[in-house]
Amino acid sequence: MKRDPVVIIVVAMVVTVMLVFGFQMARRSPRGGVADAGPNMKGRTAPDFTLESLDGKTVHLSDFRGKGVLLNFWATWCQPCKIEMPWFAELQKQYGPQGLQIVGVAMDDASPKEIGEFAHDLGVNYPILVGKEAVGDAYGGVQFLPATFYIGRDGKVVDKVFGLKGRREIEENIKKALAEGQSVEAQK
Amino acid sequence: MFMLRKLVHGVVLLTALTAAPQEAPGNLPLSTPGDPGIPGKKIPSVTMSPAPMVTVTRGKPNTVSLRFHVSAGFHVNSNRPKSEFLIPTALKLNPPTDIVIGGVRYPAGEEMSFAFAPEDKLSIYTGEFPVTVEVRPLAGVFPARYMIHGELRYQACDNAACYPPRKLPVQFEVNVVKGPPPRRKNPAQSPHVHT
Repeated sequence: MKRDPVVIIVVAMVVTVMLVFGFQMARRSPRGGVADAGPNMKGRTAPDFTLESLDGKTVHLSDFRGKGVLLNFWATWCQPCKIEMPWFAELQKQYGPQGLQIVGVAMDDASPKEIGEFAHDLGVNYPILVGKEAVGDAYGGVQFLPATFYIGRDGKVVDKVFGLKGRREIEENIKKALAEGQSVEAQK
Repeated sequence: MFMLRKLVHGVVLLTALTAAPQEAPGNLPLSTPGDPGIPGKKIPSVTMSPAPMVTVTRGKPNTVSLRFHVSAGFHVNSNRPKSEFLIPTALKLNPPTDIVIGGVRYPAGEEMSFAFAPEDKLSIYTGEFPVTVEVRPLAGVFPARYMIHGELRYQACDNAACYPPRKLPVQFEVNVVKGPPPRRKNPAQSPHVHT
C-alpha cells in the first residue's frame, strides 16, 4: 500500500503540535502547591488536626467547632507574620465575644520556649500550636508564610489568604467566618 | 503543492506560538519594592555563578571569591540580620583533609525597609552578592586539583511573604600548587679573612 507523503507529513506535524502543546500545559499547571490547594479548599471542611500547644495541651481543630476560626500558619523567621500577629491579638479581643477563635500554628524549627517568648513579645493572646509538616500538607503544603485560613462555625473553609494583607481585609474575612454556619451556632 | 506549503507554514507558526515561553499568570514577575505583590506565584531561588578554578599555593592563605544571585523580586537576610529570629545567610564548607578554610567573609547587608514594616530596617542581600573564602592548603598536601563542597543556607522573602529556609549546594575547585622554593640563606661567612 502506497502512503501519501502529504498525509504522513501532516500527521507528523499534528503529533508534534500536540506534544508541544501538552508539554506547555504540563509546565504551566501548578504542581500541587499552595497555589492550587487553597482555592480547592474553599467550601470544604477544614482538615482536622491534633497538635500540641506551647503549654503542652493537646488541641484539635474540631475543639473549636461552632466558632469562627482564623487559622494562621507562621514562623519566627517570617517578618510579615510579625506585623499581623499584634493585629490578630486585637481582633481576638474585639471579636472573641462574638465567637472568634484565632489559632496560630508555628511552622518553626525554634524551640517551644523561643516561640513562646516571640509570641509573648508581640502580645499574642490566642493559642499557639507547634506545627507539623503533615498539618501544613493537609492545608495544601504551606510553602510560604504567613498563610491564613478562615473557617466558618460549621468547620468549612470560608477563605484563605497567603502573604501579608491589610488589617481591614483580615477583619472582613473574620466577619465572613463568623457569619458562615450561623445555623450551627444557633442549634447549639 | 502550494496547498501543502501553506499547510506546513501554518503548522510551523502554530508550533512556534505554543512553544514560545509565556508569561502565564503563574509566572508573573513579582512586584517591585513597595508593591504588595502576589506571593507564591514564583518560587525564590539563590544560585551560584560557576566558580572558575583557582590556583592556590600550599602552606599559604589564598582567597577564593564566590558569587551568588538572588532571583528578582526576592531578598535574603544578610549574614548579620537585625533580629536574632531571622535566619542569616551562611556558607558552610566541608573541605578535603589537609585543606583548611580560614574564614568566610560576607558583604554588609543592604539596609532596607518594606511596605510590611516601613519603620523596621532589615539587613538583606538582593541581586548579586559575593562571598569570599580563605583557603589554606597545608604544606604537606599533594599538589593536585581538589573539589570543595558545601552549602549556602538562606531564607528568602518577598514583599509580602517568607519562604522556608533552604540550602543551596555549593562546590568549587582549587588547584593546589607548590610554593616557590624557600630562599636559601647564605652560610655565615667566616670572620677570618684569608689572604
